[in-house]
Amino acid sequence: MRMTELLRLVFMNLAQNKFKVILTSVGIVVGSATIMLVLAIGTGGKVEVAEQFKNLNAGAIDISYEVNAMEFERGMGGNRGGMSGSVGLPGGGMPSAGGMPAGDFSGGGMPDFNGGGVPGFSGDERMNQEKIVLSEDDMEDLTVFVPNISDATISYTTSSDIEGGELEEASSYSIAGVKSNYMTISNMSMAIGEFLSEENDENKEKYCVLGITAAKEIFGSVYDAYEEVIYIDSRPYVVSGVLEEMGTVASGISPDTTVFIPYSTGIKYITGDDVSPTITVIADDVDLVEQIIVDIETVLSDSYANAEFTISDAGSKMEAASKSNETLQLLLVAMAVIVFIVGGIGIMNVLFVSVKERTNEIGILKALGCSKKDILLEFLLEACFTSMLGAVLGVMVSLGITPVVESFSVRVELSVQGAVLSVVFGVITGSVFGFYPAYKASTLIPVVALNQE
Amino acid sequence: MSLIEIKHVNKGYKLGEETVPVLKDINFTVEKGEFVAILGPSGSGKTTLMNIIGCMDVLDSGEYFLNGRAIHEMRESELTQVRNKEIGFIFQNYQLIPTYNVMQNIIMPLLMRGMIHKEAVAQCQDIVKLLGIDHRLGHRPNELSGGQKQRVSIARALASKPSILLADEPTGALDTTSGQEVLKLFCELNEMGNTIVMITHDMNVAKSAKRIVKIIDGELLAEQ
Repeated sequence: MRMTELLRLVFMNLAQNKFKVILTSVGIVVGSATIMLVLAIGTGGKVEVAEQFKNLNAGAIDISYEVNAMEFERGMGGNRGGMSGSVGLPGGGMPSAGGMPAGDFSGGGMPDFNGGGVPGFSGDERMNQEKIVLSEDDMEDLTVFVPNISDATISYTTSSDIEGGELEEASSYSIAGVKSNYMTISNMSMAIGEFLSEENDENKEKYCVLGITAAKEIFGSVYDAYEEVIYIDSRPYVVSGVLEEMGTVASGISPDTTVFIPYSTGIKYITGDDVSPTITVIADDVDLVEQIIVDIETVLSDSYANAEFTISDAGSKMEAASKSNETLQLLLVAMAVIVFIVGGIGIMNVLFVSVKERTNEIGILKALGCSKKDILLEFLLEACFTSMLGAVLGVMVSLGITPVVESFSVRVELSVQGAVLSVVFGVITGSVFGFYPAYKASTLIPVVALNQE
Repeated sequence: MSLIEIKHVNKGYKLGEETVPVLKDINFTVEKGEFVAILGPSGSGKTTLMNIIGCMDVLDSGEYFLNGRAIHEMRESELTQVRNKEIGFIFQNYQLIPTYNVMQNIIMPLLMRGMIHKEAVAQCQDIVKLLGIDHRLGHRPNELSGGQKQRVSIARALASKPSILLADEPTGALDTTSGQEVLKLFCELNEMGNTIVMITHDMNVAKSAKRIVKIIDGELLAEQ
């Protein structure tokens, strides 16, 4: 039989059984909608990760020191009242506390770290108990001794109350103390004005650069913020510029909501020595990141024996975020596949019933000389079109559901490819599960089929 | 050469472990242009014989030639072709596809052999006029009387211009008047040169044929 005539018969049969066709395709509707949404949510997740890390330099390596709870307690016990630093312990027993510049930690001198008088701990062990503050000297050590580093910077974050602009009352904002090269290292760009200069840092000048969201919140617009004054901890800072909208950048700062001030200015007026700076170095080549991390550990271990630093590279962060997103997507795809299988089994059941119902018709067709191939094709095409209808309906359903999903703060990125894939998957499922009933129909013996009531 | 030539045909059906013989050493010929009635009571094997003649069932032993072609040696795909091109079936209960209209039912054998819809419809115009159903072409079978349904069934059988019309109790589901009309139509078709083999249990119906072959307990008894 010609394909056009076969299709005509198929459509005629489908048109005369509309309700059955719609009920049959319900499983595929759900499966198709699920796969469309899964892909859209997966893509949304990917886009979100990409946006979040779009300004992250893949060769950036962050080095920081974090006091964990156990070490903190041990430090408290062993050196009670004697440590100062960002953990905020009072007192100043440690020679460097309060007065010693951060750079004094480096170089391997630090005579007071040994001989600490806490029984049971060697000098090295006590090293872990003390608050370690990474410094500009550490940064310089790294740039000198670690090969294949193109640039390095040091920064810290804290939070502080800000007044000024359209703010009716003081609001807490994230403050980042950064060097002048932070902007280039973090691939940031200015919407208006200029970034902080080296002179600002050296002279501890009270200038600041606002993230775009912070600028809008404080002044209403980017342009209103430029060259205005804000008060950080009641001290006036001139806004030298506003950044363009960014994602996460090196050292994990989210610049859109952050106020940037010169590194030294912040230490002088806001944090004192109560900081945990992060050194960010940029690898010449992304492929060398692993080796550079090893070299960094070696160089830092010379300065801080047994100290364990947190060293993370941007590539790993991106990879971890992507992997977690992929895992989520895989789970959702598995769910969609299950739904499809259930839908396919539904189609198979209905087609079996349909073959049973139409056994006499199949017998008539066979008696009239309809070939096995034509009967197989007719039933298979009916399954295909039923599932295609279901798949298209599923895509439409997913379009309808999208706003609901988005209302739960889930990013959904619908795509034509997703829709096509859903339809293709739907049709394949229908065809695969429809094949066996169609085959059974085609192999019926004419006399037996014809005499079936 | 006879149109139908059946030699020493045996056919049985398995009933558990046993095989029940239905046709026993059947020898039978039909010449082109004949109108033959196969007459026999229920269970005599006449429908089995018709299924074999109609290539819907295979024989256990013996030989069957249709238009000189050895049907007993053919595979299912070849038998399908023979059914489509050489045989026009007319069933007792019409066997029309309920979801198709009259014209769609009639042209079905033509579509199966690869003809396009328009050509098939054109080819059937004379037949539907001849059978007086040209005003019912858009109707579904359930909107027709028994006699009309059988006319549609005959039209479908004639549509493919077969070598033989094979009718299984064609008047069995009809009232007397409609039955007589159908038999009259058979006579006319035979006059026009069509070969007809009709199966019936009713002697009055069989009398319409030019030759009657009796079958009892799977054996052909005599010819009249």
